Amino acid sequence: HCLDSTRPCNPCLDATKACNLNETCRRQRSAYIDTCNKGPQDGCNRKRCHKSLRQFFDRVQTEHSYGLLFCSCPNNACAERRRQTIVPSCSFEEKAKPNCLELRRTCRLDPLCRSRLADFHKNCQMTPVQQLSNSCPNEDYQACLAAYVGLIGTDMTPNYMDSTPTNFTISPWCSCRGSGNQEEECERFLQDFRENTCLRNAIQAFGYGTDRPKPA
Amino acid sequence: KRTKRARKVTTPCSLLNLEVTVSQLELGYEGDETVLFRYCSGKCSASRRNYDITLASVKKRLQGKKIRHNPCCRPTSYEEDISFLDNNYKYHTIKELSASQCGCV
Repeated sequence: HCLDSTRPCNPCLDATKACNLNETCRRQRSAYIDTCNKGPQDGCNRKRCHKSLRQFFDRVQTEHSYGLLFCSCPNNACAERRRQTIVPSCSFEEKAKPNCLELRRTCRLDPLCRSRLADFHKNCQMTPVQQLSNSCPNEDYQACLAAYVGLIGTDMTPNYMDSTPTNFTISPWCSCRGSGNQEEECERFLQDFRENTCLRNAIQAFGYGTDRPKPA
Repeated sequence: KRTKRARKVTTPCSLLNLEVTVSQLELGYEGDETVLFRYCSGKCSASRRNYDITLASVKKRLQGKKIRHNPCCRPTSYEEDISFLDNNYKYHTIKELSASQCGCV
């Protein structure tokens, strides 16, 4: 769906343009970038960065915010831009990767994170029925995308793990190393992000969707 | 018969938009992101003050001093920051890039 052959196809760049031409989106995007990009990685204020990311997704029309986050990419340049959307050096990555069950405990101590994570499991959960049909609970892609976006700006902030255009992996910043006898439970938890066909299809359906306006 | 000059539409000083890429700003950033650059343009002849008229008439007596006796269409305030991702995937923020209001000053 890149029709202009005079320049490299980059739907994420097109989405950025659409955002920059919209007053609210431009303001809110500049606000979180400015907050999240302050100082070197160690110096960035993660709490403030998370807060401005939540505000961005609360206040900006999904047409624009989802456009930036779920753009469908034909190449790495586009996918790297997509990965950078949430300023991962501040909002996502940390020096050490905590254990995922540890991270989940931290998340559950915070009422907002706790409820957003519950939403994610409810709306993007792969039950055996869904695994067969490759779809989402109630076939509701929108609900899963909204629940995914809801996690951005919490301790459980998920992101693209690399700049692979189509076969991308999504995960929170954690691993299952050092799970001891809870290894299986940890893997199950992590798989809900990494190997979630409902989430993947929801993202791809948005990227190729016909129900949203084409960026100007 | 009207002259060419008379036909020319004179728009008063106002805020205009231009879509430019980050590279086209020529501020030293390389980026393909498109941003909205807002600038001031237009005539200010309607807003000449007594100051300007007098200054114009006493100009000869001021012996080549640099003076401006016409109001100028300029930003009276600027938009807050604009942030973008450059082509090396680094984020930057530019302050006071675009005008948000124009005036004849």
